[in-house]
Amino acid sequence: MIEFYNVSTIGLNAPILRKISLNINKGEFVYLIGKTGAGKTTLLRMIYMDLFPSQGNIIVDKYSSSTIKRRQIPYLRRKVGVVFQDFKLLPDRNAYDNIAFALQVIGAKRREIKSRVLSVLTQVGLNHKRYHMPEMLSGGEKQRVAIARALVNEPFILLADEPTGNLDPEASHGIVELLERINKSGTAVCMATHNYELIRLAPHRTLVLDGGQIRQEIMPDSLKKIQGTS
Amino acid sequence: MNLFFFIREGIIGLKRARMSALISIISLCLALTLIGIFSLAGINLKDVVYRFYKEIEIEAFLDPAIQNSEIKEIENKIAGYQETASVRFISREQALKEFQEIFGEDIGKVLSENPLPPSFRIVLKSSHSTPETVEIIARELTQLKGIQEVIYHKEIIQFLHRYLTIGVTVVSIIALTMLIIITILVFNTIRLTIYARRNIIQIMKLVGATNYFIKGPFIFEGIFQGLLGGALSATIIWGISRVIISTIFPELNIENYFYLLLLGLGMILGLVGSYLSVNKYLQY
Repeated sequence: MIEFYNVSTIGLNAPILRKISLNINKGEFVYLIGKTGAGKTTLLRMIYMDLFPSQGNIIVDKYSSSTIKRRQIPYLRRKVGVVFQDFKLLPDRNAYDNIAFALQVIGAKRREIKSRVLSVLTQVGLNHKRYHMPEMLSGGEKQRVAIARALVNEPFILLADEPTGNLDPEASHGIVELLERINKSGTAVCMATHNYELIRLAPHRTLVLDGGQIRQEIMPDSLKKIQGTS
Repeated sequence: MNLFFFIREGIIGLKRARMSALISIISLCLALTLIGIFSLAGINLKDVVYRFYKEIEIEAFLDPAIQNSEIKEIENKIAGYQETASVRFISREQALKEFQEIFGEDIGKVLSENPLPPSFRIVLKSSHSTPETVEIIARELTQLKGIQEVIYHKEIIQFLHRYLTIGVTVVSIIALTMLIIITILVFNTIRLTIYARRNIIQIMKLVGATNYFIKGPFIFEGIFQGLLGGALSATIIWGISRVIISTIFPELNIENYFYLLLLGLGMILGLVGSYLSVNKYLQY
């Protein structure tokens, strides 16, 4: 579903990646861990084709980084949900409208928008706060709205770039539990984090990035080992 | 549906960035008002000078003993010049009458005979009223059989022509320079407005909006800003023109479509400005 073949980046305005090869399978949950500047965000940006490799090739669904046309990129992004540490919600509209916006900009019909938005709001447990403006929501709730917006297009993968970076431990646990539920319903999740506590809470395949390379690939059952070394 | 979304988002955009939208509208309004004032000044300056040109006549005095048939022949010949706007025959009697009207004296009392010769008064088309053309025509007239003398106000023509040329050149250079500066300023203001809201573009890109969908609301926002700036500018120019007409220059010529042009120009500036600016943020 997502495959990196010998991907390197040189001369981009982003941390460098060196000869990365990896694959993320359908419905899988993968963590990316590493220090700041290790290349986690760069790697995620390459999946939604916000950055392109200078060497190697990336396959995402039916698209290849070496052959994709600019006009095809929006259609790829409708199949890849992205959430960030800073939520990126529009401050001038409520939770419902923030999520609906993702469907409006792809030209969805009003009736379809309503049913899909209400459905994802229920999924993230915020139906009762759908008319709240972002400023009235807690950090955890804002991130749930951002996740709902990323999910409303029914992507095959959800990319989460430090989604708990701005949240307290309780809210962080809530977000990881939500991501687990989303994953169980069939959507793949790729989460960049440096919060090892969360990984122990919900262990999954973990890729350790350092200096633009994958230094280690840890399977769930041996995760305690990396806990000991960090 | 798309159009409805674009218009609604365009209006939301105006409300969201009220301050920067207001600055854009004001700069568009100032730009259009200055362009409007310069255009009006240019049009009216030309009108005034052409009106002067119409007053400038070449007088061709005929041989007093000339025959009527020859007069007709000369008249046809002069009327046939492509530069001629009008040619009028002044008989000896008419000339005498005019003399008496101007000087209030009856020269018939002093002289036994009317000394004034018949003449033609020729007005050239304003597009041909350059000192050079007037001189060429005057020379040609002198060579016509039956014409004794040709006079015209050479100095006035030269004076008017020189100052009109300088005036038009200066006004054009100032207007063009201002148009360029103003366009850059307006575009930059719009660009800043969009820059301040690049997060919405980023979100649109992330959720898979096509460029067409991203540009739509911004272009409509630009059009609304342009129309508001144009309407404001049309109101200001209307107000200024009323004051000018009632105080210093009643002949001020301002057509109704001029206001529509301001609205149209505002709309185009807003549209192009927002189109170019939003394009800058659409690199993948």
